Amino acid sequence: MTANHRIQTPILEVENLAISYETRKGDVLAVRDVSFEVHRGETQGIVGESGCGKSTIAFGIVNFLGRNGKIVGGSIFFQGQELRGRSEEELRRLRGDQIAMVYQDPMQALNPSLRIGDQLSEGLIVHRHLSKEAAYEKCIDMLKRVYMPDPEAVMLRYPHQLSGGQQQRVVIAMALLNNPALLIMDEPTTALDVTVEAAVLDLIDELRREFDTAIMYITHNLGVIARVSDRVGVMYAGEMVEQAPVEEVFLNSMHPYTQGLMRCVPKLGLSKESSYLCPIRGRVPSPAELPPGCIFEPRCDYARPRCRQTHPELRQAAPGHFIRCLFAEEIAAQEWQPPEDLIPDLMALAARKAEAAEPILHLQNVRTYYEQESRSVASLIGLGKKRYVKAVDDVSIEVPKGCTLGVVGESGCGKSTLAKTIVGLEPLTGGEVEFLGFDISVPVKKRDIRLIKELQMVFQNPDSTMNPSFSVGHQIGRPLRRFKTVPRNQVRDEVIHLLGAVKLSAVYYDRLPRQLSGGEKQRVGIARAFAARPDLVLCDEPVSSLDVSVQAAVLNLLLEIQQEYGTTMLFIAHDLSVVRFFSDYIAVMYLGKMCEIGPAEAIYAPPYHPYTEALLSAVPIPDPRAEQKRIRLSGTVPSALDPPSGCRFHTRCPRKIGEICETEVPPWQDAGNGHRIFCHIPLEELRQMEAVVTIEEESNAG
Amino acid sequence: MLVKDYMTRHPLMAEPTMSIVEAQRYMGENNIRHLPIVGKGKRLLGLATRQTLLVRPATLGSLNVWEITRFLSNLTVGDVMVKATDVITTSKDATIEQAARIMVENKIGCLPVLEEGIVVGIITEIDLLAQLMEMMATRVPGVRVTVRMPNVKGELAKLVGAISAQGWGILACGGAPAPKEPGKWDAVVKIRYVPREEIVVALERIESQEIVDVREI
Repeated sequence: MTANHRIQTPILEVENLAISYETRKGDVLAVRDVSFEVHRGETQGIVGESGCGKSTIAFGIVNFLGRNGKIVGGSIFFQGQELRGRSEEELRRLRGDQIAMVYQDPMQALNPSLRIGDQLSEGLIVHRHLSKEAAYEKCIDMLKRVYMPDPEAVMLRYPHQLSGGQQQRVVIAMALLNNPALLIMDEPTTALDVTVEAAVLDLIDELRREFDTAIMYITHNLGVIARVSDRVGVMYAGEMVEQAPVEEVFLNSMHPYTQGLMRCVPKLGLSKESSYLCPIRGRVPSPAELPPGCIFEPRCDYARPRCRQTHPELRQAAPGHFIRCLFAEEIAAQEWQPPEDLIPDLMALAARKAEAAEPILHLQNVRTYYEQESRSVASLIGLGKKRYVKAVDDVSIEVPKGCTLGVVGESGCGKSTLAKTIVGLEPLTGGEVEFLGFDISVPVKKRDIRLIKELQMVFQNPDSTMNPSFSVGHQIGRPLRRFKTVPRNQVRDEVIHLLGAVKLSAVYYDRLPRQLSGGEKQRVGIARAFAARPDLVLCDEPVSSLDVSVQAAVLNLLLEIQQEYGTTMLFIAHDLSVVRFFSDYIAVMYLGKMCEIGPAEAIYAPPYHPYTEALLSAVPIPDPRAEQKRIRLSGTVPSALDPPSGCRFHTRCPRKIGEICETEVPPWQDAGNGHRIFCHIPLEELRQMEAVVTIEEESNAG
Repeated sequence: MLVKDYMTRHPLMAEPTMSIVEAQRYMGENNIRHLPIVGKGKRLLGLATRQTLLVRPATLGSLNVWEITRFLSNLTVGDVMVKATDVITTSKDATIEQAARIMVENKIGCLPVLEEGIVVGIITEIDLLAQLMEMMATRVPGVRVTVRMPNVKGELAKLVGAISAQGWGILACGGAPAPKEPGKWDAVVKIRYVPREEIVVALERIESQEIVDVREI
């Protein structure tokens, strides 16, 4: 920075902050001894798993802790002035004028009963005494700044009439209207699609530079952190365990926890044959039962007796690089070895090979339409033209036995509908589905029970798919009894065996779902799906709601079980790194249609379908060196009620070649080895595309 | 080169209720010389500078020791600040030379930048000096030449022409009427990657112009 004559005082300085919550078991220290600074025009990322106290810090800064939370130690300086001990009124003014917040769910930040224009301008009219017209004009300007299409019309709409990405833009615009010095963002893109997320992240970066705003960015996503932050603080169980510039954290992380996190995320482009994920064992300790020494000691691979006794202080290990570990230098110098109890599992995973096998599932021109109700008189008497939402339209795929087919696409592309159609939860409108040589185009009620047994599903949200009043053992045992997989008197043993397979001990048999963590619930969900020993398991976003370390464990588990039982899987996810890692074949869906299908490695290298290219360029990559081509799709996925003619992607395609895209359905182009692209652009031209992601490997990079 | 690009956004500000002692500490600790005083919605109420915070000895003359202490501890920045009506301000879209002119003509050291009465930034003499420094590319090594020329149309073009004829680039360039020599004009150019002697030879060839200063920086 050239402007070194500027004010050096950080916008926000947090010093030894401690926050506790009052609970029935007494006060619980949720955040302890956290210190960091955010300077003007700089983004401080805070990353950690859920329950690490990230959001608590954010709430503490603006004193939104709720009735049972209070700051019990340390200080918070905003623009050099202490915030602790200020009156409610002063804090409220500060929040209105100088600090703004953006939260995860834009729908909760917007009042559903007010028009966007009224919500945006309210602050200006009340705080700044602007006239309504002037305030409206300012709001429209700000909406333009956040690249909202058609801002004048948006001002008149209600929140529910906007898409998720647009809503988040409105919230960001609202936050910036008062030109805050500090912007606190708590998981602002977690609920958005990758393509939208990429656009929002670009926007945040641009606004930070233009308005010189200090940003505190909280997320659990390492890829997002790598993209937006200047400095990163890693939180673990209420303490900051490492803090350094973003490159340092990602390339030379010194704390074992940070290193562990890095090993949990699949790198884009790596597959299960060439690499493996190493979950961190154990789980985050609850703030009420912390270990006496280093809080990470029970899960640390390098733990020594001294770690158990001495609580390490945050110290500077290299210029600007702070860590909370006694032996960080020694650890950083060592080559990491997987812990011994993991080696056999990992070896087995590495040894697995997907052999070309007979297709087990065969979809031919599958269509699933939802009928749209129409209000016209003609349709009331049955004469009107029926309109359909074409959720899945003309999809043909094959899945070989024992392999995994990954399905990716933005939300609303029909991924889940496809899974539901196969499993029989949605009636088929047209086409054929053949499974194990049987026709399964009938709804699940009419299917033979043996067929149902062979087709099971793992759902995204384990909370809503488990009966809260039945014990874990009962729920896993249900398919065993129903499908008579084992004799009745052996059900209990089998359930315990299954629990073992998902790395849960027998004590979980009698637990209720509410006594389990998210990762454990998902394991139970997996155990339940595999209980019937199915031939095909459909996983609909099984790891999306899980923390990275848990995600790694669950993915490893799925791989292991798949290998043991030789199960075929259909794996739906929106995280392209995970899909690449997990799948043998990948299908990219857009608006109910396939645009590209082929072996996993072929999808991630040219030739690409233009849509795949855009998706890949949007994936946040947990490596600050990664260079991605910037392709941002404009607009949102068009309505499936009235899909665009010709190629469905033509309305957003950055590589549209002309009228042919609008009028003719693109042909299948075979790029060899089962890799097919549905695009008008000739294959030769597609082959000449550059790779979207390049990572500059330095010679000393480990 | 507009004020909005060179001002300090989100300046440190205070409320009028802040005590003078506190304000002095605040300004000292954060090394700032100007403190905009704002009310609700960052609306400018006044400006405190280090001078305004100094209490005139005359006002204290009639007070005894105990009264002085009480007087000082009750004094707030709101009491001593320059009131908003008297504060000279500028807008985001003013040019920096306009800002400089206002500051020079009023002999003041800073201008709060307002937008509808709301403080959006502050621009100080240091910001302008920093910009002067950047304009002359002070931090980049090169040869700095001052050429004196008649204040006539086409003279600067000759100088630029002579430099570009050699295939060199101009790193920085500035000019002003020559001090104490009416009818003459001084141009300063900074050239990189070329030895000083070559530059002198090339520029001496221009008739009607003379090199008054050459130095390597």
